[in-house]
Amino acid sequence: MPGQLRLSVAHSAGRIASRLSQSTGRGRGETIAGRVILGIDPGALGKLAGGRDIVLVSGTNGKTTTTAFLAGILADGTDEKVSSSEFGANMRAGIASVLAGRPRHRYVVLECDELYLPAMCEVLKPKVVVLLNLSRDQLHRTGEVRKVANLWHKSFTGDDVTFVINRDDPFLEYAVANAGHVLRVTFGGRKHPDAATCPNCSALLDWSQADYKCVCGLGSLAAPIRADQRLSGPGRNAVLAIEAARLMGAVVPVDIQAGLTETAPDRSATYVVAGREISTRLAKNPESWRECLSQITASQVILSVNARGIDGRDTSWLWDVDYTPLRGRRVICTGERRLDVSYRLSVQGIDASVADDFKAAVAGFDSQTIEAIASYTAYQDLAAIGLGLNKAMTGVDR
Amino acid sequence: MSKLTIVRLYHDLLGTYGDQGNAEVLVHRARARSIDVELVEVAPGDSVPTSGDIYLIGGGEDGPQTAALEMLQADGGLGRAIDSGAAVLAVCAGFQLIGTSLPSSTGVTVSGLGLVDVSTVYTDDPRCVGELFVTPADDETAQMYTGFENHQGRTQIGQGVQPLGWVSSGFGNGLPSASGDSRIPEGVVNGRVIGTYMHGPVLARNPQLADRILGSVVGVLAPFEDSVANAFAAERRAAMTI
Repeated sequence: MPGQLRLSVAHSAGRIASRLSQSTGRGRGETIAGRVILGIDPGALGKLAGGRDIVLVSGTNGKTTTTAFLAGILADGTDEKVSSSEFGANMRAGIASVLAGRPRHRYVVLECDELYLPAMCEVLKPKVVVLLNLSRDQLHRTGEVRKVANLWHKSFTGDDVTFVINRDDPFLEYAVANAGHVLRVTFGGRKHPDAATCPNCSALLDWSQADYKCVCGLGSLAAPIRADQRLSGPGRNAVLAIEAARLMGAVVPVDIQAGLTETAPDRSATYVVAGREISTRLAKNPESWRECLSQITASQVILSVNARGIDGRDTSWLWDVDYTPLRGRRVICTGERRLDVSYRLSVQGIDASVADDFKAAVAGFDSQTIEAIASYTAYQDLAAIGLGLNKAMTGVDR
Repeated sequence: MSKLTIVRLYHDLLGTYGDQGNAEVLVHRARARSIDVELVEVAPGDSVPTSGDIYLIGGGEDGPQTAALEMLQADGGLGRAIDSGAAVLAVCAGFQLIGTSLPSSTGVTVSGLGLVDVSTVYTDDPRCVGELFVTPADDETAQMYTGFENHQGRTQIGQGVQPLGWVSSGFGNGLPSASGDSRIPEGVVNGRVIGTYMHGPVLARNPQLADRILGSVVGVLAPFEDSVANAFAAERRAAMTI
């Protein structure tokens, strides 16, 4: 079959598979559609990407929300149509599906899994790659934070792409050390919990100031963009997204930037469970747990933790988080690893009870506001229609 | 003993897998027995005190492991503390670096601290990742130890030392012991020095091991039944049959 025809057949088959998957309730359909497309035409990614302006977004935390945020800014700041990943499907199949969905849209903003990023840069030839942050996540899969940083460092040597990075993260600074074009953004420095030693030379990093220094010179390059140190994790990601959109040609007036970063989306949604509206945040690793805990305001909190593949099968990281923000609140733990959480809290002197499932946890509370923090699959479970839970309001997690 | 001193070594470097929680569990279980306990943090660059009772070393990535090894070698305090009767719990990267040799972050074999007769090599075999279930070597009828392992190295234990246990499920040390036993050992025990590949943290998932370490330095412990800890530990043991 000639190349374009094969792609066209692949594309139609993918759409049918996607509809089937949605109608049988097996998921959002994005990934299955992409699998069908790639099954028929393994070269589909490069063909679908050809002639389009692509941005890739990667990093440990905030990929999905930043991708959506960046797509929105790009659409508002240009007169062009923008396609983007919407459901966090960030490997080959999910990316193929987004590219195939609206093949005439000039701009494509794609979330990309960290381990797949080098291969996707190679085949999609993005104009801009946004690197948000790197910290401990799913250690059973990636092994080490440094493994991802090394993989990126070895791969990012080209001259045809511009990386937008948070240079306060030593792993990102190391990742782009050999890249041709880098736009560095600083937030005034912030101690990285996993970077006691230099990713480049293994010497102890000097963190005596808020910023890091190394004998090998890592981190000594100036950052032309200096942003507000007080921004939250989502706010920092939003600044990177705005800079990336500008590089892609979007007009983002300086006077609206502060407003944009203040309302930066996090991964949260409000679910109605047993007649109660519950604001739920997704947290999947120590850094995102710290971020979510710092934002809790309710007096009643549900923590739901599973340890299926995508959550990270090792729950040891629960001990890397300081749960002080939960003091004085009533806490109920649920999810498959609720006993891990309740014991961790008890050793920190925070009383918590356990409930068999989310509904039982809700039933354990009084009529005051309840907030929840859920690990990845626990969050997905809440979103699943099969549990009879309805999404009342969404953030950008459409 | 007037005060129990627990020393947590370099948790910025060797705390990648939650192992710093071992210190919190020991403090919690000591205080439950009304034992006066102090937790001393040793940061990279600080000298290692020699008067501690229990020293804890955690797991970490290759680069930080090498940095920690070089600092501990230059300091020498840990060996003197062991000579004075201190207990040690060393996990994963920490377990490897208390041995006689291990691969450095650049892949070259380097000398370890030599505090126990174990040596670690890297092989081309897959990384050892997953739940680990271990029958205690000192009492095979006792409750099983459980943990989560995540390591590339394989560790050979010498003839004169015992393993912490025998692998029931998982990889453990990944190499048979030099004594010729066909079972695969997990960890090492030499006097009051214990090494293991189990994260979890291991003392959170195994209260009996926490008490064994506490008991080795303070003597007979008052009973303490922590229902939350026991329920968690029992659930993890039960996970092996699933």
